[in-house]
Amino acid sequence: MTKSLSKNKVILELKNVVKTYISGNSQFNALDGVSLKIMEGEFVSITGPSGSGKSTLMHIIGLLDSPTSGEVLLENKDISQLKENQLAQIRNVTLGFVFQQFNLLARTSSLENVLLPLLYSDVPKKERNQKGLEMLTKVALEAKAANTPAQLSGGQQQRVAIARALVNNPKIILADEPTGNLDSKSGKEIIELFHYLNKKEERTIVLVTHDIELAKQANRIIIIKDGKISKE
Amino acid sequence: MLKPSINDLIKSSFRSILKNKGRTILTSLGIIIGVASVILLTSIGNGLQIYISQQFESLGANTVFLSPGKIFNDKGGFDSGTSNRFISTSFNLTDLSNLKRSVKNTTIVPVSISMVKIKSSKTTKTDVTVIGSSYQYATVSNYLPSSGNGRYFTKEEEDKKADVIVLGYGLANDLFPSGNALGKKIIVQSKNMKIIGILDKKGGSFGGPDVDQYAFTPIGNVFSFTGNQKINQMVIKTQAKEQVPQVKDEITKIMLKKYDKDAFTVFDSSQLLSSINSIIGILTIGLSGIAAISLIVGGIGIMNIMLVTVSERTKEIGLRKAIGAYPRAILIQFLIEAIILSSFGGAIGIAIGWLGSLGINNFFPAKVTLSSIMIAFSVSTLVGIVFGVVPARKASKLSPIEALRYE
Repeated sequence: MTKSLSKNKVILELKNVVKTYISGNSQFNALDGVSLKIMEGEFVSITGPSGSGKSTLMHIIGLLDSPTSGEVLLENKDISQLKENQLAQIRNVTLGFVFQQFNLLARTSSLENVLLPLLYSDVPKKERNQKGLEMLTKVALEAKAANTPAQLSGGQQQRVAIARALVNNPKIILADEPTGNLDSKSGKEIIELFHYLNKKEERTIVLVTHDIELAKQANRIIIIKDGKISKE
Repeated sequence: MLKPSINDLIKSSFRSILKNKGRTILTSLGIIIGVASVILLTSIGNGLQIYISQQFESLGANTVFLSPGKIFNDKGGFDSGTSNRFISTSFNLTDLSNLKRSVKNTTIVPVSISMVKIKSSKTTKTDVTVIGSSYQYATVSNYLPSSGNGRYFTKEEEDKKADVIVLGYGLANDLFPSGNALGKKIIVQSKNMKIIGILDKKGGSFGGPDVDQYAFTPIGNVFSFTGNQKINQMVIKTQAKEQVPQVKDEITKIMLKKYDKDAFTVFDSSQLLSSINSIIGILTIGLSGIAAISLIVGGIGIMNIMLVTVSERTKEIGLRKAIGAYPRAILIQFLIEAIILSSFGGAIGIAIGWLGSLGINNFFPAKVTLSSIMIAFSVSTLVGIVFGVVPARKASKLSPIEALRYE
């Protein structure tokens, strides 16, 4: 597989996306006509001050929310009109989420946390444990497979969360302030992990952060302000 | 295909329930108490029916009773007593000889009852029920002294009003606490009588008449105790069960010549049994119904805790949705948790109810039926479904964004 070819393929495209929130009589456009393209194998960061609409953008990219108007194309298919069940399936197979709060299930082992997305997938039961352990090995936590989140450091917890995001072999990894709750050393390790996944496994990575310095780690930066893309 | 499989869902529900053992037990407590009391009450009702059936079986299926007053109402239950049951309280010797002459191939035993004072060498007992009857009473009622304990009185003794008496087991013990009542003399009212037999222990009749406390003597003796010749009841034994309807008709016909149709009742043991059973059945259903109210209260308890659980686990629900759980998967997961909670409560309740009825059975008839267990278990599961739907729907409808943002 040649790198240049895959880099030219658009994996995600937003066309004039508007998201309007209505509270009482007042309307507010959190996204006001956003158009962007993300290529396969790209490492993109989306940044902007708080209230800029980057969270809303991330929710729409992550198929957690649907736009008021405009199109969202995932691998050239319009997904803005899909039903909730279909969206859930795409989130399960095509997307991997990494959150600021890790969002691991408490009192549940690392391995079981990693296996959680497989519960909602077609992966046969026999292959699941193997897959989970593989992912934990990838984030260098195979020794902590039986440990619960409470027994892990913040950085380790986030790596378990990354292993969970990877377990269904998604094309896109969506990370929302993944280092926000970590010390700088662990944060750096996480970013290195993203670089590794991007370069060696050619996964598309979308990193959402308010931290410009962190955003600069990506190959491309999209700055959003007042619901519009102000700079690429 | 359902994703995740029911198996996976049950496993993960079990896990989250087991994380909160204390809460699980407290949540299920309502169901536990409800199911245990339903099982206990139905087992008592059922035990009572079996016990009474056995008592009636010992009377035999070919026994017909003639009693004064209207006993049954038109629906087969017992009459409420609005009729003249207490006006005509007895029959007399003419009735007896009329019946004996007209109704063939039967044994007709007159029964007359009196309350007397009995004095033994040791003690005095007042208000003892003494049953006056013919010598056949023992065989008709299947109530005989076993060998070594004497005998019932004979036809000759009956005819000459012999001063002989047969005592119930309990009465004999009360009068002669040290035993050996057989052959002793006692004073009944003012009459000297000889104890010729002691009946076998019949067992407690819980609150009803205790036959172990009865005394039995030729009917003529009771006539002299009461000062009249009133017969309180007639027991008619036919030769075969098939004769019972015909004999009942014949007796009714003869009695109608002299008495109003509400002044007497001719019935057989099966009729009495079905009336008693229908009363016990209604009581059991009524009491179990009251106990079942606690099941509803228990269900509300489960609903409350499930609603709390949904709030507590909002983030988890958001995460599950973000990583691919579709609404129905969440709905089923929480529904299964509610069902597990309630059927866990049901299972414990059944165990407690069962043990309880085994314990009660030592002094009161109680028997757990398979049907009551199955009903209790399915009702408790149903409670879980009914009261689990609201919280589960709430969980499944959460927006993943809102849920993930929830602190």
